[in-house]
Amino acid sequence: MSFVEELVPHLPEWLGRQRWFGAKGREVSAVDVMSATSLTDTEPLLDLLVLAVSFADGGPAQHYQLLLGRRQEAPGELEHVTIGRVDGLCAYDALWDHTASAWLLEAVRAGRTIGPVRFVPEAGATLAPPGFGRVMGAEQSNTSVVFGERTIMKLFRRLNPGVNPDLELHRALRSVGSNEVAALQGAVEGALGGEPTTLAMLQDFAGNSADGWAMALASVRDLFAEADLRADEVGGDFAGEAARIGETVAVVHAELAAALGTVERDPAELAAACSARLDAAARDAPILLPYVDAVRAAYDAVAGLPEPILAHRVHGDLHLGQLLRTTHGWLILDFEGEPSAPLRERSRPDSPMRDIAAMLRSFDYAAFFQLLSSDPGAFADDRTGSSPLRWHAKEWAARNRDAFCDGYAARAGLDPRRHRPVLRAFELDKAVYEVVYETRSRPGWVPIPLSSIKQLTAGATSGSAAG
Amino acid sequence: MSRPLHTQVEQAVTADGRVVETSSDDYGHARTLGVDHDWFKRAVFYEVLVRAFADSNRDGTGDLRGLTEKLDYIKWLGVDCLWLPPFYDSPLRDGGYDIRDFRTVLPEFGTVDDFVVLLDEAHKRGIRVITDLVMNHTSDSHVWFEESRRNPDGPYGDFYVWSDDDTRYSDARIIFVDTEQSNWTYDPVRGQFFWHRFFSHQPDLNYDNPAVTDAMIDVLRFWLDIGIDGFRLDAVPYLFEREGTNCENLPETHAFLKRCRKVMEDEYPGRVLLAEANQWPADVVEYYGDPEVGGDECQMAFHFPLMPRIFMAVRRENRFPISEILAQTPPIPSGCQWGIFLRNHDELTLEMVSDEERDYMYTEYAKDPRMKANIGIRRRLAPLLDNDRNQLELFTALLLSLPGSPVLYYGDEIGMGDNIWAGDRDGVRSPMQWTPDRNAGFSASDPGRLYLPIIMDALYGYQAVNVEAQLNSTTSLLHWNRRMIEIRKRHHAFGLGEYRELGGTNPTVLAYMRTHGDDPATSDTVLCVNNMSRFPQPVELDLSAWQGGVPHELTGGVQFPAIGELPYLLTLPGHGFYWFAITPAGLDQKP
Ligand SMILES: Nc1ncnc2c1ncn2[C@@H]1O[C@H](COP(=O)(O)OP(=O)(O)OP(=O)(O)O)[C@@H](O)[C@H]1O
Repeated sequence: MSFVEELVPHLPEWLGRQRWFGAKGREVSAVDVMSATSLTDTEPLLDLLVLAVSFADGGPAQHYQLLLGRRQEAPGELEHVTIGRVDGLCAYDALWDHTASAWLLEAVRAGRTIGPVRFVPEAGATLAPPGFGRVMGAEQSNTSVVFGERTIMKLFRRLNPGVNPDLELHRALRSVGSNEVAALQGAVEGALGGEPTTLAMLQDFAGNSADGWAMALASVRDLFAEADLRADEVGGDFAGEAARIGETVAVVHAELAAALGTVERDPAELAAACSARLDAAARDAPILLPYVDAVRAAYDAVAGLPEPILAHRVHGDLHLGQLLRTTHGWLILDFEGEPSAPLRERSRPDSPMRDIAAMLRSFDYAAFFQLLSSDPGAFADDRTGSSPLRWHAKEWAARNRDAFCDGYAARAGLDPRRHRPVLRAFELDKAVYEVVYETRSRPGWVPIPLSSIKQLTAGATSGSAAG
Repeated sequence: MSRPLHTQVEQAVTADGRVVETSSDDYGHARTLGVDHDWFKRAVFYEVLVRAFADSNRDGTGDLRGLTEKLDYIKWLGVDCLWLPPFYDSPLRDGGYDIRDFRTVLPEFGTVDDFVVLLDEAHKRGIRVITDLVMNHTSDSHVWFEESRRNPDGPYGDFYVWSDDDTRYSDARIIFVDTEQSNWTYDPVRGQFFWHRFFSHQPDLNYDNPAVTDAMIDVLRFWLDIGIDGFRLDAVPYLFEREGTNCENLPETHAFLKRCRKVMEDEYPGRVLLAEANQWPADVVEYYGDPEVGGDECQMAFHFPLMPRIFMAVRRENRFPISEILAQTPPIPSGCQWGIFLRNHDELTLEMVSDEERDYMYTEYAKDPRMKANIGIRRRLAPLLDNDRNQLELFTALLLSLPGSPVLYYGDEIGMGDNIWAGDRDGVRSPMQWTPDRNAGFSASDPGRLYLPIIMDALYGYQAVNVEAQLNSTTSLLHWNRRMIEIRKRHHAFGLGEYRELGGTNPTVLAYMRTHGDDPATSDTVLCVNNMSRFPQPVELDLSAWQGGVPHELTGGVQFPAIGELPYLLTLPGHGFYWFAITPAGLDQKP
């Protein structure tokens, strides 16, 4: 019996415990090893496995990657990633194994090809000097290993056939010399279902950085602590950063357009897609029903636009948490796109307004997330007019949304606020998605996107949505 | 020490027009401290205005003898080096930076002999003394200038930069745009224009004349012979002029500084030069000289942009204003050190830091009326921080632990206030507050004779804020400052160590490691964690490089949990900070 056959029975339980496993709660009917590529023949033995997970509910199988390590005895620091004993050896998730991580870095540097697995450095790549890497503490949907504070390797856990847009867009941005993303230095590519598929990518690591979400929350807290100062008067004012974020996004948009070209899209088609999502959302979250007409009216306004809409590749899932404040300005991370959308759709050029609307939503979220943390009852009753914190939250969001647009306009020469119908439609599209998401996972948060929908449709609804 | 009693020497001019310069042999020489090439890296500096510290002769103005009497206090506080702004004879049209005679003391302050005593008494206590020296120009009442304008063909005819018209060096900017229309001023006596980068009563010396460079090096020797430990060289970028340049930072200026440094190394080893070049760190490093030899110009230079960044970081409640400027600060030669400060006698203005395109300070400040006001106006530390003890402690902890030698400003150690009626310039120059008695114990003169009134308000007045009261209370700010200085001096990592920022997910927390030495048995490692926010904060730090090490908190000595594999979690109170010594794995002494 091969080690693979011995391993398989351990996998369902082990997968279920992984933070990155995207099907928690669903009953797994089978885990198959689709391919196993042996990378080393001395200890630690390394094998790159592609797993196919099938579900009892009959839904489509999902694919995951596992870099498996095997040793006679796993040292203590690997205990927490041990999967089980197979073939007389201890098998574990090898990213935590220092010998394994050091091996990976050298494989990329040397540009090795082993079976279907290709380790590819970018032309002129600069990588950390040889040495092991450390797995980043934060539990994410992927697993990142940092080498010598210089290079970060992100191993994609869940695989989709094809080139990952994260890699594709980083490569394009490298080709135009972008300073607004962490420079791509290499990739690991394999195959899934006969298609070349991205397994991992390596980028410059930005040490001493903090993400935009944490920075924004610190600013909101500062404002909330003031009784009578306005958002522009408090020390924690975020508007300067918001404007610089706007500039950064504008520059990346220009770079994406330059690297991968622009197209025109039919406004009616974009509006129809929004409309279809709205119908599905209203089924999943009936709380949306009172707003459906008004929201659709906003989409119709886009459908009726006389001019086609400029489109190019965009980020697709932009929010404050995807922005990294470094000592040299802001970086944009993670160009994988909206994770729930199919890959084909994610790689289609879209309006840059999509990212802008997403950022505007994110400023709202930061303000109202902190509002709910500080005052859990903020939305509970109709205290709208009287709650000073809620007033501050609105004020903060409005100020930073504006500052973001100012910054974007300064670099792009195009003020997003002058494209009201499109911006409003995309904001609504995002907020509708958020309502569904929150209804499923965090019902207490539903009021955040719902109140935005209320506000964005105010006037247009004239009383039809009195909720 | 032999101390001939002297009266002020009048400057005589010989028949052939030569000024008879006084010689250091005419004075006693202070005892000197042992040669130490690193002292300024470990030192805590204290800027004190002679006029403001203590009045020994009841004329209402502080003087050198008064300062000498207070050396025990300065020693007690833990100060290693005094920095005295100019005390030379001067018409005082520019706060003493307009020097009339490089070899005489301003009569109100005393005599050269008094200075010798000050220096000797300071050295006796292990305290060094440096002073400002203005190299670029003199007062127009300096005898060199008077000779130069009267006698173009005499020995001083070429001591200044003269021209028949006012068109040369037109690319040089005018620094004091508010008061000066041109860098040239017509002199009716000589019938020519003279060159001045600052006020028109401060003619620039002509450094292309070897007689000038020799004369200025002799001025250095005069004070070095007496025993001074170094100079802060004022306005150093402007010494030379060259057509077609902006006449700043020219190679000739660097060559001259190298010559000054060589004289110091050869004849007075261990004395220091501190450059005053109010520029970006990346440009200022030029004044350290050749990194290959550890630096061969000035050993020290002020880091100007750091100070406003500290204020901004706390106001914005995030570390980036500080992190950024330190990331933009290039490495300096091994024999050099930054000087850092929170406040000094002369506030930097917004314009001075905003020149650089890449920097965002200007927009940040311009947007924020409060920051703008604070930066332009000269204020003391305590009022700037609303007298908030937590912030005063946080700022001081930053000053004492960021890379560089800290320069304290007299009176800030007790939290003195500023005198809002004294006007912009003098607001932070009021008399030191020693006691709750008349004139705050500064002077026994009639209160009306004081050079500036004592601060009287309820919060910062001398009745509430004075040295005597704070000496009597061990919880006072003064005692706190002294303890922190003492801790800093116990750990050479602060003065000599490398600086490495640790990042961390919480942007309101600034954490860094100061490390000195490679040998684990003798090396010193200090972890500093600072909360820029007024709210309590958690932070997780990646200390994996120090795994197994044990942190000891430095103010209380309490041992914290050993550093493990996982991120190290700390929680800080609002505006809180920690200093930890890290004992390497295996070296901790368990009972
Ligand atoms: N180049 C980089 N330099 C420094 N930190 C980085 C870098 N790239 C990513 N990070 C950190 O890792 C975190 C996760 O990165 P990223 O979003 O690319 O991975 P992910 O696993 O896809 O995350 P998520 O599950 O949030 O989508 C970021 O929030 C950031 O803190």
